[in-house]
Amino acid sequence: MRPGWRNIIPHIVLSVFSLAILLPLIWVVRVSLTDKLTAYKIPPEIGHVGIENYIEIFSTYPFERWFFNSLIVALVSTAIALPLATAMAYAFARFNTGGAFLRLGVLASQMLPPIILVLPLFTLFFSTGLMQTRMGLILAHLTISLPFLAWMLVSFFEGDSASLEEAARIDGATRWQAFIKIAVPVAAPGILAAGLLGFILSWNEFLFALVLSGADSQTLPIGLASMETHAGVEIAPLAAATVVSLLPVFALLPFLRKYLIKGLSLGALK
Amino acid sequence: MAGIELKNISKVYGGSVVAVDDISLEIKDGEFMIFLGPSGCGKSTTLRMIGGLESISKGDLLIGGKRMNDVDPADRDIAIVFQNYALYPHMTVAGNLGFGLKLRGVDRGEIERRIKAISSMMGIEALLERKPAQLSGGQRQRVALGRALVREPQAFLLDEPLSNLDAKLRAAMRTELIKLHHKVGTTIIHVTHDQIEAMTMGQRICIMKDGHIIQVGAPLDVYRNPANTFVAGFLASPPMNLVTGRLEGNGGGDLHALAGAARLPIPEAFRAGYAGHSGAAVTVGLRPEDFHLAPLAGRSVPVAVRTVAVELLGPEVILVAELGGAGGPEIQARMPRDFLARPGAELTLHYDLTQIHLFDGQSGTALARPQIA
Ligand SMILES: Nc1ncnc2c1ncn2[C@@H]1O[C@H](COP(=O)(O)OP(=O)(O)OP(=O)(O)O)[C@@H](O)[C@H]1O
Ligand SMILES: [Mg+2]
Repeated sequence: MRPGWRNIIPHIVLSVFSLAILLPLIWVVRVSLTDKLTAYKIPPEIGHVGIENYIEIFSTYPFERWFFNSLIVALVSTAIALPLATAMAYAFARFNTGGAFLRLGVLASQMLPPIILVLPLFTLFFSTGLMQTRMGLILAHLTISLPFLAWMLVSFFEGDSASLEEAARIDGATRWQAFIKIAVPVAAPGILAAGLLGFILSWNEFLFALVLSGADSQTLPIGLASMETHAGVEIAPLAAATVVSLLPVFALLPFLRKYLIKGLSLGALK
Repeated sequence: MAGIELKNISKVYGGSVVAVDDISLEIKDGEFMIFLGPSGCGKSTTLRMIGGLESISKGDLLIGGKRMNDVDPADRDIAIVFQNYALYPHMTVAGNLGFGLKLRGVDRGEIERRIKAISSMMGIEALLERKPAQLSGGQRQRVALGRALVREPQAFLLDEPLSNLDAKLRAAMRTELIKLHHKVGTTIIHVTHDQIEAMTMGQRICIMKDGHIIQVGAPLDVYRNPANTFVAGFLASPPMNLVTGRLEGNGGGDLHALAGAARLPIPEAFRAGYAGHSGAAVTVGLRPEDFHLAPLAGRSVPVAVRTVAVELLGPEVILVAELGGAGGPEIQARMPRDFLARPGAELTLHYDLTQIHLFDGQSGTALARPQIA
């Protein structure tokens, strides 16, 4: 593409949008590197630059516990959701299990405001002793990720995947072998993308974590929200904590993009 | 190897769509059978039932004499080459070829030996480490064929395997398949839309329409003695000209077919068979290749035609003309390559009367007469 005058207007528009998204992030990064006084200066000045805030979040706050809780909850809930969602999606795609009604039902559960689920879960966890545990939070996050991932994965088992499985069955594979050796590997990019998405969903989740977790099981979003001192919100350490909690998400995004874009069954047909 | 027998087989989709309607057919052990028919006539459905990918609604399927209706596809030991190849995209060519053998527990050394043999036979040795995405269409097709061959199954079902290839490669693969059949002698069912494939590849053709089998026979037999107007108008390109007309006789020896303004005397040999239909409405079938520029001694009749168009194909010329003059029914005639005529020109052609076909005017069924050998 030649950079001609035609490209200027789209570029201006895109730049505006990019700035709208980037500026808050840039601001957070800058604040995380200044001291507490400079952080509040308006107009902003560069002033002092250092990593004291990063040290502080680990020394003053139980930041590593929040981080660890988030990591465990996100990893375990994704590890549970992914195989179940794969099986659900496969059943939807291949056997039309439950028909359009069940498919819609699964999607509909995602349209309810999450707050509706919080109260029943609260009572349920309270009576089963899951309240304030990581396990409870993991189960709660499954109510979000399982339907979402299943819905997302259905299309990866439709179309080409079915005829490849038929070829495998003719080649001598059982239904299970055809699923494990053909359908799943062919859907692998989709399954990986779904896994990453499930991780990010759980990592960022706030409402369930707020109501259902306790001091020991607090995750990052709740921890960040609780970074309040007698002197109000300490914006500079909070910014540092935000940056650290964003790191895993940024580390995963390129992979998510790569898997989602990658063709499902390149070269299988025709 | 095994023969395949279909006994009164039907396939009904969703309780109402009858895709295959009560077909019976015996494919002998080692036979090369062609399925030919218009789109949607049930060819793929029939193959899929034989392969076990589709349940059989009614009837019995016998492979090697054993009833196979409820046998898992994996245990039928049949190979299918799918129209869309269906290569496993995440495996290399070698992986694709070896997949079925691995599942059947063939040992490593043997798998490697067979992959090697098949890939050299198909000319794909150099591609063994590639993924399907890195192959051309023709290469993929050869891999798909190789994947079927490597297993040495009881029978091959080929669903339009050459339809995606360019003309040259298609011709080459056609010969390749025929040679292959000579070599391995395995039962083959080959589905095709292609007239040349239908005529040249198989020992018998099975012509289907709307879920029914219309005619089964050796290609030349079917070409020479089509069972009805559908077969006549479907086989060969350009197909037989079908002209509505009437059979007329005066009770004495004279019997002739009227087609438009043309009057075609029925040869002595056919008279006995056709005489009973004297006075009936018939469809007269005239093959394009049986129109000649010069009379044939004792067996042709002159017919007047008016040129509509000429199509210069190179090796031959297709003359489109109105039979019996302006306003007559349009026919196609195959002329030698140096033939020329201006649109509107009146010509006299000579039709070979031994090649006349008559079909019932209503049902389209061929009227009985001695078979043309
Ligand atoms: N899964 C299905 N559900 C309902 N109807 C079907 C299904 N599969 C095929 N049919 C119908 O069955 C009939 C036969 O289909 P089939 O695929 O066997 O045709 P075909 O002869 O292979 O055609 P083509 O030459 O186009 O491949 C068609 O009318 C088709 O619409
Ligand atoms: Mg078909």
